Amino acid sequence: MASTQVALSPRPNPPGPGASKPLPLKSKTLNVDNAKPAASVAASRASTPGLETELDAGAQMNEQVRNRYVIDKKIGQGTYADVFSAHVRSDPSKLVAIKRIRLQQEWENGITMDSIREIRFLSELKHPNVILLHDVFSTKDQKISLVLEHLPLGDLEEVWLKKDKKDPMIAYTQADIKSWILMLSRAVWFCHSHRILHRDIKSNNCLIAANGCLKLADFGLARPFAEPGRKMTHQVITRYYRPPELLYMAQHYGPKVDVWSVGMILAELTLRQFMCPGNTEMEQLNMYCEIFGTPTEETWPGVSKLQCYVAPDKPAAQRGHPKSWWESNFGLIGEDGRNLLRGMLTMDPKKRLSSEEVVKHPWFSSSPRPTKMEDLPTKGKADLKRFGDDLKRHAGELDSGRGDKVARKLFG
Amino acid sequence: MKLTEDDIYRRSTQYLHWSFTAAQLAAQRLKTNIQAAERVKAAVARQRAARALKTETPNASGSENASQNGANTPLPPPDREVDCLTMAEEKRLVDNFCEKALELGDFLKLPIEVTATGVQFMRRFYLLNSPMTYEPNQISRTAIFIASKAEGHHLPVAHYAASLPKTKPEDILAPEYLITQALRFHYEVRHPFRGLKGGHLEMMAMAAGKATLPPNIPQDRDPRALQQAMLELPRRPGGPASAMSEKELEKRITEAYGFASHILKNAALLTDAYFLYTPSHIWLSAHLLADEPLTLLYLSTKCPPSNPMHAKLLTTLRSCAALLSSHHSFHPASQTEEEKAARDKKDQVELKALMKKLRLCRDPDKTNLVKLNQAQKRDAVENGELEENKRKKRKIAREQYEKEADDFFGPSLSKKENENAS
Repeated sequence: MASTQVALSPRPNPPGPGASKPLPLKSKTLNVDNAKPAASVAASRASTPGLETELDAGAQMNEQVRNRYVIDKKIGQGTYADVFSAHVRSDPSKLVAIKRIRLQQEWENGITMDSIREIRFLSELKHPNVILLHDVFSTKDQKISLVLEHLPLGDLEEVWLKKDKKDPMIAYTQADIKSWILMLSRAVWFCHSHRILHRDIKSNNCLIAANGCLKLADFGLARPFAEPGRKMTHQVITRYYRPPELLYMAQHYGPKVDVWSVGMILAELTLRQFMCPGNTEMEQLNMYCEIFGTPTEETWPGVSKLQCYVAPDKPAAQRGHPKSWWESNFGLIGEDGRNLLRGMLTMDPKKRLSSEEVVKHPWFSSSPRPTKMEDLPTKGKADLKRFGDDLKRHAGELDSGRGDKVARKLFG
Repeated sequence: MKLTEDDIYRRSTQYLHWSFTAAQLAAQRLKTNIQAAERVKAAVARQRAARALKTETPNASGSENASQNGANTPLPPPDREVDCLTMAEEKRLVDNFCEKALELGDFLKLPIEVTATGVQFMRRFYLLNSPMTYEPNQISRTAIFIASKAEGHHLPVAHYAASLPKTKPEDILAPEYLITQALRFHYEVRHPFRGLKGGHLEMMAMAAGKATLPPNIPQDRDPRALQQAMLELPRRPGGPASAMSEKELEKRITEAYGFASHILKNAALLTDAYFLYTPSHIWLSAHLLADEPLTLLYLSTKCPPSNPMHAKLLTTLRSCAALLSSHHSFHPASQTEEEKAARDKKDQVELKALMKKLRLCRDPDKTNLVKLNQAQKRDAVENGELEENKRKKRKIAREQYEKEADDFFGPSLSKKENENAS
């Protein structure tokens, strides 16, 4: 049905392997008609006396899906989810990851809203730069398991962040940064075209496939665009990546919040450190004001109406860093790159670039061209532990574990 | 490159897994019906056999003594075959319970997309299950609850259960997995509401002479000419041209929107429309029923009548409109109040009879969903998760042992209890 190629970005689809998504397992097309064999099993079983607990159609399909995978080992364990490495029973060379949502002690409302959201959105979003959800099933003890694409090469944070002195430093160039940011921006554009806000974009939610392809993961905080006038919670997006309007507690916002986060990732890749690692929300906001200047009604019309906005004491107190600061810190990405960066990191969301404008930005087509994903530098060897850690994490959590409890109240 | 609404819809789970032809839909329902009926008959037979066994042992004189075993449920005479629902009767019942679910959503003041999604979850559930197996009342409460989570509308289960008659939180939670498995974990339902709103805004812009027309529309229409054509639109199909003021035209468009919106919130949800048509078919058909000349003019700006697709599209829209207007919530102008009352009354009588029939053909194994759910969880512990089970047992034993030790020696001075973080 969908044999005609679907747009993967607002520009012509990239040629070569970039456009081809990992082979969807044939299982994906299980539909009601395919349930026939299962149903006939039920019918024949029903006629055999004594078997009183034969499964109904839904449970049978669930069992079929569950039996399709074989768990190999646990690669991550957290309070929110356990993660397993597994393979397809019929083809052991096909690896998958299984994210099994844990039952939450304090949650008494049945299946958690986060897992329902994540499943809901991932089921609709099939894109080479979005983590592929192969299947979903529930275990006998009623835990939901997400069968996800196997992405063994860690995440983007590991590329630029050197946590440990012993870690080898991964060297990369402007062309490599371009390639990663372009893949990420395509994913974000695709979400936005589906009217979905991700609301938790950060380096360690950008996972790396065996072929170097970047995949946006963790849709636990995602939601559809709101109807105009409908309120949303500002308690989303991990602090370092949270745009100023959310720190000012805006209750109406749109896809531009995700663009800010992508801008932060571009800055991190260039600086090789967190751009704004605020310890509190207040500190985070102060950092923004220092770098970009305190917003006023002139630079950001409407800002003074936001709940947490405080007008600067002296009008000229904070004017933001001059152009030279950007040039000296972001020399690596060149003039075009800095243009794009500052377009994404614009305090006023109305003036901030949209995800479509980002993908169409001249930086990506100017020289040097983005590196082919197969040629991108990686850690070289598979790191299932990191993959497991990335998947087990609860949406909105900082890695430090300090866990600013973003998104505990996300029902807005 | 452009990602069109069509591209997006064609890759949705709704299109890939939950869209059918009328024949596929009927075949699926028939299969479900036959299976469920067989199961009910088998379960009832088993139950009767068990009962017979029990009553036979004390004295073989008569079955009247059965009541002393606590078997006071009125059973049909032992040798009568269970009279199961037909496929059409099942559908009728499900439709009715969907309608009740809609009323429930209204009563609880839930946003329409929550109720609408819940109703579609129910309809999807009953493609694979029969009301004889799972009682629609129990299913509808939970379907709406799952929908509230899928639509991001926080509805704590305790609060929700308390607002329903004679309902405990575990009644809501028990069928959650049952339903979610039948839905195959597809939580997204594509509704026609947003499309209708968008179309309405476009028509208002056209009426104001500010339409943005797509290129390559062969008619020589500019926004002004389009506005003029709208002002002259006949009131009825084939009627005489009218000469409205801009105000009157706006009023007409707003009325059409209201009428179509009512259809989307009722007939569209309570028929098979979502299974058979796309969201844009549905809102355009509802609009066609609301104001045909207006809708046709709007369509012609998207797809001119000279385009071969136009005739095909219109045929589809008309068949969808026929489905929508067949629902009893649709109130055509030609119908008098008495006619409607008579039709509703007849519906009520028939439904009452169906409810009675349903009570006599319920699957006795599946009446108590809470117990059934508990049993399933117990099974899982017994079979699958032996390791987990052992660990828990050991932990309990250890705690018990420590407690006994504490009782005897007094508690230790500082006790770290976070030894296992799992």
